[in-house]
Amino acid sequence: MEVLLGITGKDFVLTASDATTARGIVVQNRGEDKSRALNKHNIMLYSGEAGDTTQFAEYIQCNTQLYRIRNGLDLSTRAVSSYVRKELATSLRSRNPYTVNLLVGGVDPASGAPELYWLDYLSSCVKLDYAAHGYASYFCMSTMDRFWQPNLSLDEALELLRKCLAELKVRFIGNLPDFTVKVVDKDGIRVVQI
Amino acid sequence: MARRYDGRTTIFSPEGRLYQVEYAMEAISHAGMAIGILSSEGVVLAAEKKTTSKLLEQRSHEKLYKLNDYMAIAVAGLDADANTLIHYCRNQAHSYTLTYNEPIPCEQLVQRMCDLKQGYTQYGGLRPFGVSFLYAGHDKHYGYQLYHSDPSGNYSGWKATCIGANTANATALLKQDYVENCSLKEAISLAVKVLAKTMDSASIGADKLEFGTLSAQADGKIIYRAYTAREIEKLLADEDVKKILEEKEKDS
Amino acid sequence: METAARRSVFSILDAPARLSIHGANADSDGDAMLNAADLGLSSSAPLEFAHPTFAIPPIANPVEFLKHQTSIDAKNRIKIQHGTTTLAFKFNHGVIVAVDSRATGGSYIASQTVKKVIEINPYLLGTMAGGAADCSYWERELARRCRIHELNNKERISVAAASKLLSNMVYAYKGMGLSMGTMVTGWDKTGPQLYYVDSDGQRLKSDLFSVGSGSTYAYGVLDAGYKKDLTVEEAIDLARRAIFHATFRDAYSGGFVSVYHVKENGWEFINRLDVNDLYYQYAAEPKPKLL
Repeated sequence: MEVLLGITGKDFVLTASDATTARGIVVQNRGEDKSRALNKHNIMLYSGEAGDTTQFAEYIQCNTQLYRIRNGLDLSTRAVSSYVRKELATSLRSRNPYTVNLLVGGVDPASGAPELYWLDYLSSCVKLDYAAHGYASYFCMSTMDRFWQPNLSLDEALELLRKCLAELKVRFIGNLPDFTVKVVDKDGIRVVQI
Repeated sequence: MARRYDGRTTIFSPEGRLYQVEYAMEAISHAGMAIGILSSEGVVLAAEKKTTSKLLEQRSHEKLYKLNDYMAIAVAGLDADANTLIHYCRNQAHSYTLTYNEPIPCEQLVQRMCDLKQGYTQYGGLRPFGVSFLYAGHDKHYGYQLYHSDPSGNYSGWKATCIGANTANATALLKQDYVENCSLKEAISLAVKVLAKTMDSASIGADKLEFGTLSAQADGKIIYRAYTAREIEKLLADEDVKKILEEKEKDS
Repeated sequence: METAARRSVFSILDAPARLSIHGANADSDGDAMLNAADLGLSSSAPLEFAHPTFAIPPIANPVEFLKHQTSIDAKNRIKIQHGTTTLAFKFNHGVIVAVDSRATGGSYIASQTVKKVIEINPYLLGTMAGGAADCSYWERELARRCRIHELNNKERISVAAASKLLSNMVYAYKGMGLSMGTMVTGWDKTGPQLYYVDSDGQRLKSDLFSVGSGSTYAYGVLDAGYKKDLTVEEAIDLARRAIFHATFRDAYSGGFVSVYHVKENGWEFINRLDVNDLYYQYAAEPKPKLL
């Protein structure tokens, strides 16, 4: 039932994740943030097997931050998504692989160029203009195909996101009342109200 | 006194020295010289080949090696040790690319090489590598770069430097003639001049020299270009090496 | 070329420790213990932070073995205690924890007097749902680590850190049959804290949790009456009623309702009341007005 969405704009990436944690039929928490800041300009959203998700995300987060401390440089969105892909591929062939699906979004701090990568637990890694994980993809991909265009302003991207979330509210049986929405741009990562 | 502390790399002498490491550096100061010069348009590597014989097969590479598309290396010291390290270095560069899908930042590759070198000055039963390197590189973070590393595992960044025999003279010349943000052509001229003035032999030809440049092509792509024998001969003629050698003769 | 010098040079942080069982795990010397190397721990990791290791049955695959022994097909089936109702919530005066006391193995009521609140130390409480043995073992191990933290750092461990220790420990055994749903609660420098940790490795922070087979019933009563500004008396009453209603509907919950109150200077045990007595007490009271 988990939903992850990502939309690239002119000089930012807009991300949304549902704020609900459920176990079986019971909702356990309504204020969850299913993302981790990897560095100032990169964010990773996760969904999947309970336990694996946060363990894997924090493992990646720690290593990207360690890279920064060791080398005095931040990994780019492309570099960090390649690194994550490799970690997943290694894990996939181990005895207990991580069952985690991810979106990695970020901007180049110098040029402001946005990048968004879609990764799944089978370690596919695709660069996309907009992306969705989980049931959301059935409801939102067509909406984004129809309305997404290059160089979206933040207001336009937020409106597109609202359309996606509205469609989920109308057609999706899973009741997801709250979403955590974030923007990554040259100034860093911040939460926005939808 | 010293003898008791010579044999092992891992033992400090009472004066706080690591003799084996110092001997390794000594080995390098007899090797053919390698020069690196940074310019605003690229990096020049040049080196003197010591083993010349007309019976020897002309190999194109002995002192200069390409590591990946964005880095090249010049060697001074034991060739066999250098081969091992270059193999390691290429391996590291490409495993970084495998993980991160982009070329390794120059300083990181130098660090990885130096971590290995350092290990050989500390762990028991090992002999340090008798090689110094000059690294010419380019990355998106700091543009063109030139580094030097020695057997102890120290490294440092330079605008122009040299390793091997006669470095004192060459360094003095570089200090005197280096112009910051010079063009690639000026850097090449300087390299030729310094080599010509500091090499022991009275004549200089393609059999004794190696040349390489790391610079951008017309389309902006960075490439490392190793000079062919013919190109070196042409370069020496263009730079009028004969005249430099005559001047040197006169001075002495 | 493989030398000591090469070994740890470019390592990145180790992946979270996860045990792996290799076929039989009987190494050439026939030692059937999981050793520290299997845990992915570097040899330099302080011993007190190494995950506990166990002697495991000398058979091909211990995980499958446990699955079989707990399945209906097994000749002498091991019935692991499961049914429970536990809850905890934060409010303006700290945290209230309430639990039932019934232990069941299948349809058999094994005990009506189980202590499902684990007193980790005077400032930390844990609750027990799922495998009773798993909960008490791992929370005792947690208590040991919390004490070591105190000795090393000359200050009490935060609830966030304690719950993270627990979640990391059980995550290392993920997929090996642990069954544990626990709430870790206490009062630290940042005030009253409440975390949920389970054997999947899930760790959540929230104001209100209920765990166990009766949790849906407890949630029903709790959500209807919960607000931040309850008085202590109201909060205790709400928690007790929620557990009571869960024991009424859930066959695997029952016995006594134990209530604890976590305050700034540590937790306080409130009381332990028989659900049978509560039934008659509540039955005698008028129902609340809906409008």
